[in-house]
Amino acid sequence: MKPVLIAKNLIKSYTKGSRALDNVSLELNQGRVLVVMGPSGSGKSTLIRTFNGLENFDKGELNVLGIKIDSTHDEQKIQRIRKRVGMVFQQFNLFPHLSILENITLAPIHVQKRRKIDAEEYGMYLLNQMGIDSHARKYPSQLSGGEQQRVAIARALALKPELLLFDEPTSALDPERINEVLDAMRRLAEQGMTMVVVTHEIGFAKEVSDQVLFMDSGKVIETSTPDIFFSNAKHERSRKFLNQLDKY
Amino acid sequence: MFNINSDSINTLFQKVRKLLFSNLFNTVLSLVILLIISLVFFNIYKWFSLNSSWEVVTTNLPLYAFGSFPTDQQWRPATWMICLLFISLLTLFGPKWKWLRKNLLLAWIITIPLGLYLLYGGFGLSPIMSRQWGGLTLTLLLTIFSALLSLPLGIILALCRQSSLPLIQKSSSIYIDVMRAIPLISVLFFGQLLIPLFLPVGIEIDRVWRAIFAFTLFLSAYIAEDLRGGLQSIPNTQIESANSLGLNQVQIIRFILVPQALRIALPSLTNQAIGLFQNTSLMAILGLVELLGVGRSILANPEFIGQYIEVYVWLASVYWMVCTIMAVLARHLEQRMTINKTNFQKL
Repeated sequence: MKPVLIAKNLIKSYTKGSRALDNVSLELNQGRVLVVMGPSGSGKSTLIRTFNGLENFDKGELNVLGIKIDSTHDEQKIQRIRKRVGMVFQQFNLFPHLSILENITLAPIHVQKRRKIDAEEYGMYLLNQMGIDSHARKYPSQLSGGEQQRVAIARALALKPELLLFDEPTSALDPERINEVLDAMRRLAEQGMTMVVVTHEIGFAKEVSDQVLFMDSGKVIETSTPDIFFSNAKHERSRKFLNQLDKY
Repeated sequence: MFNINSDSINTLFQKVRKLLFSNLFNTVLSLVILLIISLVFFNIYKWFSLNSSWEVVTTNLPLYAFGSFPTDQQWRPATWMICLLFISLLTLFGPKWKWLRKNLLLAWIITIPLGLYLLYGGFGLSPIMSRQWGGLTLTLLLTIFSALLSLPLGIILALCRQSSLPLIQKSSSIYIDVMRAIPLISVLFFGQLLIPLFLPVGIEIDRVWRAIFAFTLFLSAYIAEDLRGGLQSIPNTQIESANSLGLNQVQIIRFILVPQALRIALPSLTNQAIGLFQNTSLMAILGLVELLGVGRSILANPEFIGQYIEVYVWLASVYWMVCTIMAVLARHLEQRMTINKTNFQKL
């Protein structure tokens, strides 16, 4: 089993001295799903954003798909990583001035230099997979939140990524819209996509993930399989967090 | 039938009474205002029907339109202006066929080289010097070319002002601030009188192009500021998501930032275009015979001496018509282009 993502002792400090990332190490193998959980401000978003270079770190080493980056933040290497890693954001971040299909084909055409017809054909295939191909000519503002997020997933998939990052993909959605996005993610996991998912959805984590990583104030508190984490967490802090989540 | 009518007249009457004559003060005020309005209209009507003579306009129509363009060649600017008008009307009221809508932009772009070719001549048409251009033709030419040149320059200035390189950032913001601190008329004087002094002997830019360059230098500073507002209102998450898709800096500017900034700044860009169209009349002071210049030279003709009001009323209505067309076109563009604000969710 080939590791896709290796992080070694990542440290990132804010100017005040508090640490956003405090000695974070992890390893993720191909075809596996890692769920990152933790209270807000625990550094989980910062962590996932370092994986495609949106966030810099001060010390440590990161190996993404065999490309090594360190605190020097080498632009060219990061660019190479970004072409092979897709990301889905909490607020969808679709481009409002482009149609749904244009949103999806923008990167394939201009980053991967694929032909427009091929990119559009593959884009329509992805939209079909996500169940929203009838909206291809509409604009993002005409779609519901759940539909927009599925477009965002299709946009990330259009570059045929080897690793997908999800930064709280369902937190901005209405409760009844969450499942349509989770279902799409579940299907991706079944197809063997390697994914890192920051989420609070326990059901999704139990069912889909292979590893759960629990963070608090920049530190990794616990890494376990979901069976162990949700029934029998080792650390007091994790149990407290899970109890609190259960209440809602 | 009669009943309903009398009822509705009754309610109308009551409404008017309530609105205008509800108490003594309001009644007096309403009467005074009505009196003033009717006086003004009466006098205007009297002047139109009795005292005005529109020969100064009707006999000189070709002059207003084409200036001193040779009479046998006047079909050339006429063709150009009819093309512009036709495409405007097509854009506004034309059928919504897909192929037509797609090619309209192309049609608009083609009008520019077409206009240059028709005015300058060559390639089968007899060449005509730019000093013979004039009238509405010249006004439109100044407006269109200054607007076209200042838009890309304004985009570049706005982007430079956002640059992280201090030299580029500072020099563009100094340029913008200086240009906005100078009155347009002095920039135009600079273009007409000083540029020829600075140019080496033998190189000469003709007066129309010097005016266009001066307008461009001036207007691009304002456009840059309008666009800066647009650029600043694009949330950072847009750049982040473009980054995560692997787009590079230039591609982000080209596909994400500039298109959105242009859409956001569209209403103020429209304002600039209409302002530019009216400001071209300043060139009359500097010796170009554009629309206002034609009016002044006609008034200098002993035959029409003293008919200021007719000429200026006519000129005002021509300016008003063109400005209205521009404004309606811009509103049409806005409706097609604006991005729905709800799509920018909170950061």
